[in-house]
Amino acid sequence: MEILLEAFRSLGKDKLRTFLSMLGIVIGVIAVIVAIAIGAGTTANVTARISSLGSNVIIITPGFTGGFGGRAAMALTSVLQETDVQNIQQMAPDVADVTPILQKNFNVIYQATNTVVTVVGAYPDTFSILDLPLQSGRLLNQNDENADANVAVIGNVIATTLFGNEDPVGQTVYVSTGGFQVPITIVGELKQTGSKLTFNPDNMLIIPYTTAAAKLIQLNGGVSQIIASAKSAQTALNAVDEINNILYMRLQNTNQYRVISQNQILSTVSQTTDVLTLLLASIAAISMVVGGIGIMNIMLVSVTERTKEIGVKMAMGATRRRIMVEFLVESMFITIVAGAIGVGLSFLIAALVTYLASGLGLTVIITWPSIVLSFGVSVAIGLFFGLYPAYLASKKSPVEALRYE
Amino acid sequence: MAALLELKNVKKIYDMGRDIHVEALRGVSFSIEEGSYTAIMGHSGSGKSTLLQIMGCLDRVTSGEIVIKGTAVKDMNDFQLAKFRNRTIGFVFQSFNLIGNLTAIENVELPMIYAGVPRAERRKRAMELLKLVGLEEPEERAYHRPNQLSGGQQQRVAIARALANDPAVILADEPTGNLATNQWRRILDIFKRLNESGKTIIIVTHDPLVGQEATRIITLEDGEIIKDERIK
Ligand SMILES: Nc1ncnc2c1ncn2[C@@H]1O[C@H](COP(=O)(O)OP(=O)(O)OP(=O)(O)O)[C@@H](O)[C@H]1O
Ligand SMILES: [Mg+2]
Repeated sequence: MEILLEAFRSLGKDKLRTFLSMLGIVIGVIAVIVAIAIGAGTTANVTARISSLGSNVIIITPGFTGGFGGRAAMALTSVLQETDVQNIQQMAPDVADVTPILQKNFNVIYQATNTVVTVVGAYPDTFSILDLPLQSGRLLNQNDENADANVAVIGNVIATTLFGNEDPVGQTVYVSTGGFQVPITIVGELKQTGSKLTFNPDNMLIIPYTTAAAKLIQLNGGVSQIIASAKSAQTALNAVDEINNILYMRLQNTNQYRVISQNQILSTVSQTTDVLTLLLASIAAISMVVGGIGIMNIMLVSVTERTKEIGVKMAMGATRRRIMVEFLVESMFITIVAGAIGVGLSFLIAALVTYLASGLGLTVIITWPSIVLSFGVSVAIGLFFGLYPAYLASKKSPVEALRYE
Repeated sequence: MAALLELKNVKKIYDMGRDIHVEALRGVSFSIEEGSYTAIMGHSGSGKSTLLQIMGCLDRVTSGEIVIKGTAVKDMNDFQLAKFRNRTIGFVFQSFNLIGNLTAIENVELPMIYAGVPRAERRKRAMELLKLVGLEEPEERAYHRPNQLSGGQQQRVAIARALANDPAVILADEPTGNLATNQWRRILDIFKRLNESGKTIIIVTHDPLVGQEATRIITLEDGEIIKDERIK
């Protein structure tokens, strides 16, 4: 108790020095907490966005060795077959709906505009499985399928590219394929949805499956992707397993296909942001270590300055251990107070960051573990970097210390 | 009277490195009786402070032996020495050496803190001691910092601090060296009063006036006792 009081007194004597020695730790603690808070906020943001897709969507693609280069390979090699769709339909009890997708990039021409568009052949149930909302016009239906109709629903973003401010519904575009131009009439426009797992309707021209198979994307029974939905979010993981088993039975190679569900994406995303957060926090932690070195420096100066005092205390009967503890308490006092100030200020900074970056959609969530961690580390730093100066103080010879002026 | 402190052929050699040695004490033997008042005198550099430090267990001898209250000092480790100093020896220094960021009364309490005396008891005894050394209006002065006190007042606080754990002996090194005449008279009066009430006192000085109240004067020269006279 007296030790604490004494530490407080001697630190209070030179307030500026004490304050400056705290600064490094204060900044470090703020940096760690805010870094982790930004990481947590970003994770929460991304998670919320992914979760809005509906947790029971499952997308099956041919296996690819990563990146978007796989897209081209997807269209050329049709590992997945229409029979897979039937098998999944029949043999996977936790799968509600399953539907094949044909997909390929084409030049699409509207008046003077000529641009590359992802043309997708899809059955009408695709819209309900992926929950694609209509902005204007109508969705595709079974009549379109039966008639191999040259009609399409267009994604929001690509519609703007092709038609600008014009209403796309009722317009005709031309999809060019090997010298032919297939006219397609737009019957509906989708609302902007963002990417659904690997599937981004905003940039797609969606035509009836049979139309695509007959006129644009002939894969001889092959399909580009398969989209399925689990019966419920709870059974989504079971559904994924079932699909994996069915595909493995035929292909005997897990590298040839990928079954992607929202849960998997979520865990991948959180792994990625975890790594990023860790990286940020580590960089921030370095500033805490630098702060610790600063404290060690100050404590070494303080030990030298107070050599005489140490000598007097030893003459009065202070044991070496007592002297050591006195200095340790002092350095830990600095870091504990600095840690507390840092925690307090980090809330302020977090609020500030949220305010300033509100336009960027940056969310800052201060988490308990980050507070406990950074505070704990600052206490540990006080102990670690205070140890050597305290040891030096305790090892002084009483006579030498008393002679010091 | 029983011997409180006994030195047998004590030598102290400071090793300055590069083969330079300073022989500060060249075989000193004497004993101090309980309740005595001894002055150790000698010219500057004669080894007085060295002797006092060794008697106060602040430093170890190069050779020879010291026995205090029946305990051989050389058998004690650093921890035991600290405890021993705390309970048995009270130091008074030339430059007062009060702890600057503690109040007068807290300075007096310091040795009692090290001895584990409970707070309330500590306060009470510290206040009594401050009264004993005649700090005017101690209730107020007690809460002043050393830099708010005069030299004489500081030295009286230092004496109170030396008395805190009722030590067997008070060791004072030039306690009046930094004080004006009227101030050091008061300090010597306190020592005299303490001795009259039974406290053993050893005072180091080069000033014959300061030594005049002692009942025994040991004179050092070049690390050796050249005179040991009893007065009265
Ligand atoms: N720590 C030390 N290292 C080396 N030499 C020392 C040390 N302490 C004292 N000496 C030397 O030992 C001798 C005795 O010193 P000491 O301080 O005991 O003298 P003193 O009688 O107290 O002198 P003064 O009256 O000036 O205080 C001196 O020559 C001094 O230089
Ligand atoms: Mg001296």
